[in-house]
Amino acid sequence: MIGKELISQMKKLRDVERAKDIRQLTYSIFPGPHCPLMGAMLAVRSIKDACMMVVGTEECTYYTKSTTMNNMFGGMDSPCFSVVMNYHDVAFGSHKKIEEAFAELMSEYTPKAVFLISTCLGEIIGDDIDAMAETFSKQYGIHVAPVHTEHFKSENHIPGIANAVTACLHMMKDMPKGNGINVLGQRFGSFSSTELFRVLSKAGCEVGMALPGGCSVSQIETAASAKVNIVVDATALELAKGMKESFGTPYVRFERFAAPADIFKAYTELFGYLEASLPSEVEDLHKQAVETVGDAKPSLKNVRYIYGNTPLPTYEFNAFMVSMGMIPQLIQTVELPEKPHEYLDYILENSDPYVVKSANIAPLQYVYDEMKPHLYLGHEYALRLRQKGISLVRTDQASAMLGFEVTQVVLSELTRAAAEAKELEKERAS
Amino acid sequence: MSLYRFLPAPSHRMAVMWTLMSVKDAIVLEYGPAGTTHYSMGLFGSMGLSNENRLFTTHISEDDVVMGDVSRLENAIVELDASFKPKVIFVMESGVTSVIGTDIHGVCKHIQEKVSAHVISVGEGGLRGDYATGLCEAYKTIVSQLPVDGAQQQQTINILGASAGSYRITSDVWELKDLFNRAFGLRVGVCLGLETPVKEIQQMSGASLNVALRTEAIPCAEILKDRFGTPFVYGSPYGYSGTLSWLKEIGVALGVDINEIVEETLAQKDQESRQNLMPGMMGGIRQFNATIVGDYDLLRGISAFLKEAGITHVNMICSHGLKDVTHKAEGITYFETEKERLMFLKSINNHLLLADDVSMHVAPKDNMGVCVSFPFSKHPQVATHLPIMGERGADMLLELVERFMARPVTSTNK
Repeated sequence: MIGKELISQMKKLRDVERAKDIRQLTYSIFPGPHCPLMGAMLAVRSIKDACMMVVGTEECTYYTKSTTMNNMFGGMDSPCFSVVMNYHDVAFGSHKKIEEAFAELMSEYTPKAVFLISTCLGEIIGDDIDAMAETFSKQYGIHVAPVHTEHFKSENHIPGIANAVTACLHMMKDMPKGNGINVLGQRFGSFSSTELFRVLSKAGCEVGMALPGGCSVSQIETAASAKVNIVVDATALELAKGMKESFGTPYVRFERFAAPADIFKAYTELFGYLEASLPSEVEDLHKQAVETVGDAKPSLKNVRYIYGNTPLPTYEFNAFMVSMGMIPQLIQTVELPEKPHEYLDYILENSDPYVVKSANIAPLQYVYDEMKPHLYLGHEYALRLRQKGISLVRTDQASAMLGFEVTQVVLSELTRAAAEAKELEKERAS
Repeated sequence: MSLYRFLPAPSHRMAVMWTLMSVKDAIVLEYGPAGTTHYSMGLFGSMGLSNENRLFTTHISEDDVVMGDVSRLENAIVELDASFKPKVIFVMESGVTSVIGTDIHGVCKHIQEKVSAHVISVGEGGLRGDYATGLCEAYKTIVSQLPVDGAQQQQTINILGASAGSYRITSDVWELKDLFNRAFGLRVGVCLGLETPVKEIQQMSGASLNVALRTEAIPCAEILKDRFGTPFVYGSPYGYSGTLSWLKEIGVALGVDINEIVEETLAQKDQESRQNLMPGMMGGIRQFNATIVGDYDLLRGISAFLKEAGITHVNMICSHGLKDVTHKAEGITYFETEKERLMFLKSINNHLLLADDVSMHVAPKDNMGVCVSFPFSKHPQVATHLPIMGERGADMLLELVERFMARPVTSTNK
């Protein structure tokens, strides 16, 4: 495989009109993206008093349960149940089997909510899990939320998270508004360890529901009592919109932004909805972050990078790096925001990167030889990158952060990696 | 009773995948949604299989599903052939492409003339049975397509039926190689099912004998017998007497005698292991119960040895369906539903429990649990010299039995 040939098949980000137009680097991929089923599992696993029932092939059900059996995800007794489809079910539908399994589940366990998850096969043959969920809900008097996770309609696991989170809307009841907030889209770590939580706590603001990060079914039921929803990840945007429409709860997008200006804007908007003055601590943190940006700029100017996958929002983070004088050579993503878009436009005004679909690291090895980036952001083999003179930027530590702490940790890692890349360049030259 | 609280048995397709992935210089290409490929990496990794440049997926879009467009697959085959120059590309159907009726065999046949690699289609969407059937199919697929006639590999024995899904299989194969060497001065030609290069598989017709370790490998051994006239012996060596009789059978098939020292040692150890059968040595009449959960041949082999070593009663619970087992041994149970299996496991007390992670988790803690079967995600395998089969495996099993018998007597195991 020749790097030049691969690059010649890539599209420039500026030439892509729809997400569908983003090309796969090669026709065969490895490891490929995760599927929405895994996304749904990741979202549901941390909701207390709830369980999931996955309907699919042995593979889908086996891999989902075996992942949750990891102690990190709940251990052997994790509340993940399965119904395995066979040829008979494909021919005649799996309704009866699901009904039987649901009865078994309810006779042995007492979940307050069940997420009924359908996978590729059920969606192809048209099993109506929405209707089944509605029936079970009435029959057993608990919440039963249908979640659709067919992978052939999406590029990765993100829609699975979004679908599971959005499905929670129907569990919520209208409530009198209080002074608290909900955190929507808390996928990594605990909200209580973030800067944003610290600032809100000092301001006397109470956190109601953090979905999906460790909330309970009762917290979901009463989530409409919050004064404002904070959307910390785009996967919860549909839920936030739904709650605004159903209960009038406003929302603020406070994702894992890297640029101090974006974070400051989110803080300002949030405290506006809370009808409270912006704490002086936020002003101080903003000032410190702006200073760090100024200090880091000289060492990051003209640093070339390939963007893989990070816990930060792709376009905001890339726009931030471009604003630092860095040069994006290739961005791997499956998303394309609707144009005009603030961050996308900024990237295109100041750089001209290629774009390909993510999660296909095998052929990238040949691309590195041609593009010769200084940095790679995302999951890759660090040693292999070093051999090619590339430094790996690790941003996973930022996944449990929100606020200016993200700017600080990201800049610290970028400058470290840029310095390492220069050393590697010297070593290779000698 | 359709609910699974733990793990269903791995599917036909999963076993085909992990078997084909053991073929070095070959690539497995999945035609279906990419998530399955990514999801499977954890399992294959725990089995010691290398994924890199060995496993790929095309992914599949809604357009492909609706329109039945296979150009993505064709392009992927051509691309992999040009990029990695594999000797073989196994093209795997998925549940989705199987249900929509993609003619995967036709695509592979059509594309063959455009590529150098031998393209082998595997039309299995994962709805047809469990991993036992999958192993059988995978072995048959490999030996029907790859070995060539006239290979010169005399004085070797091929092992058929090693499976990456068997706990301690690498150690077992290490033990078998040592036994063949010590007993007959022969080496192993091909070990089908573990890391074996295409080139060696192509040459496997030259072996003196094929040894089918498990019932699922018998059809594959028969194909090799039909194609190349290679005789075969079926069975796995568990316990001292089991290992000795297995070696004797191999010796008969080869027309050679077993090395005297090997024979004497195994016979001597066999005698010693039976001492536990003498009630006087156990301080009176005590019942010792064991339960084994695992693959069919493991159940047969280990249960026989446990009985020789003084275990009074052995339950044998098969992890896979028995429909493909032609001569089913008595006393082996396969529970059709998970609920029945769990109920049984929860009902045993003070047993020596040789099983898998889930069974050991479910059974009461007064049982003495030891991992011998799949799934074994809580039991990483680092050592390659700790077999369950053969002489050393019997040494380990005997130690377990003696430790088990030395446990304090409780009200339920008197």
